[in-house]
Amino acid sequence: MMGRNMMGKSMMAGFIKDPVLHISLKQLSGPRRMTIVTLLAIIPVVITSVIVGVNGGVPDEFAAPIFGRMFVAAILPIVVMALATAAFGNELEDKTLSYLVLKPVSRLRLVLPKYAVTVLMTGPLLVVSGVVVALVAYDADARTATAVAVGIAVGVVTYSSIFMWMGLVTTKALGFALFYVFLWEGLLSEFLSGIRFLSVRAYTVSIMHGIEDINLAELDELSIRLPVAAVGAGIVTVLFFYLTVRRLRRMDVP
Amino acid sequence: MTDRDANGTPTIRVDSVSKWFGNVVAVNDVSLEIRPGITGLLGPNGAGKTTLLHMINGLSAPSEGEITVLGEPVRNNPGIYNRLGVMAEHEAVYGFFTGRAFVEFSARLYGLNDVPAMVDKAIKAVNMADAQNRPLGEYSRGMRQRMRLAASMVHDPEVMLLDEPLSGTDPRQRIEFSELLAELAKDGRTIVVSSHILEEVETLADSILLMISGKLAAAGDYRAIRAKLDERPYTVSVGCSEPRRMAAALVGLDEVDSVTVDAEGRVIVLSKNVSVLQLAVPKLAQDAGIRLERVEPLDDSLESVFGYLVDA
Repeated sequence: MMGRNMMGKSMMAGFIKDPVLHISLKQLSGPRRMTIVTLLAIIPVVITSVIVGVNGGVPDEFAAPIFGRMFVAAILPIVVMALATAAFGNELEDKTLSYLVLKPVSRLRLVLPKYAVTVLMTGPLLVVSGVVVALVAYDADARTATAVAVGIAVGVVTYSSIFMWMGLVTTKALGFALFYVFLWEGLLSEFLSGIRFLSVRAYTVSIMHGIEDINLAELDELSIRLPVAAVGAGIVTVLFFYLTVRRLRRMDVP
Repeated sequence: MTDRDANGTPTIRVDSVSKWFGNVVAVNDVSLEIRPGITGLLGPNGAGKTTLLHMINGLSAPSEGEITVLGEPVRNNPGIYNRLGVMAEHEAVYGFFTGRAFVEFSARLYGLNDVPAMVDKAIKAVNMADAQNRPLGEYSRGMRQRMRLAASMVHDPEVMLLDEPLSGTDPRQRIEFSELLAELAKDGRTIVVSSHILEEVETLADSILLMISGKLAAAGDYRAIRAKLDERPYTVSVGCSEPRRMAAALVGLDEVDSVTVDAEGRVIVLSKNVSVLQLAVPKLAQDAGIRLERVEPLDDSLESVFGYLVDA
């Protein structure tokens, strides 16, 4: 047991010292990118605060648009998109990817730190912002906060996997990501309910609603069943992570 | 360094390799073997040198054919980079690193045990100790090239693939660079240096591979190849107002092997010495009162090889 703990600590220490993790942190934490991402993440908090300041609380008709439509449907994917598409996209653009792939490092060991950095840099920011908005907008309790935090975390993990792959596959990753978020998830899923089974946004709200269905009852219209959402998010995350590793193995690196 | 091949058996084998991008054939059915020592990969821009090096170092996959380095395939074989050092042709670097941090980053990716000592050794070898703590973004092109070389050799590789390494270096740096590579090669390493400038390769390489239009035009000892090229006759077309008189005048030149006049009235000259012919033709035309309209090589690739070897 002790040996296993030591091994776990040693692996963790190795991961923290990983040069790819360090370089990814440096690349993705540029002041300009971080300022934009932080501003985007706190917009719903600011709007909610203003509404509370003016009305003394958030009227019911504002809660769903601010949380469901603005935060979950737009801010969450856009913030993740800004970092995840750049995880490999920047390396391809400035032609530094060869410094990584021409080393005795497996492709999995290249993808994992970049993915981890994307999730760790966007996740806490979005979870805090989303929980604050939900707590104020829905006058919510700890269970609601937990539901929102888990849902956002799943959204971050799943979107990161998809957008990181896009950044490696195309130089127009941002365009494709916006298309996916606003046309596929935003527009087409309104008309074709089956699309929700292939929508990260639907997974996110379904997990929130599945954990807390009273305070977050308004999310019901977008929801699919909790187990389906959880399995769907898991499959999509693993699938796109695998596709990123495979792409890195097969592509011609400029 | 382990298992370094001192017997002169090939460390790099390229077997019937082609690479095409859509309809464009960048490398066409190239087969070659590279042995320990310094090999110059020579050819004009666009000849396919970088594409071939990218396939040898594993950055891109051949459309056809096979490549092995130290007896192993390179694609999807990250372990090979423990024995292979690559300096790619583009000069992009992580601008936020200092020179030393960049080499350390490389050393850590190679999983070296004594990173500080290996980094010191590599930086000293490229004579960059004084500037090692300056940001890469502030380096001159030549300094960046030297630090990139240090990063590619920090793990003491058996095979080094260097794409245009002398680009941006000044004459003094080139001499130092040549001496360093010669020193590394003495140890039994296989070093491939690509260049489009003959003088660079001439001073460095024991043997050359000459690529033209995606094909391997020649391979072997530099002087033997140059002599071979000098022996090849070149076809030159001369357009003028009086082709038959021009042909008669050209026949008298020592440098001319044969002269014919084709159906379109052009004088077709076969010569082993194009540079002398280029000077002689205008003078002959002027002396004979013939209006010269055009002098052009009919074999562009050979002409470019020739011009390249003579003028570079």
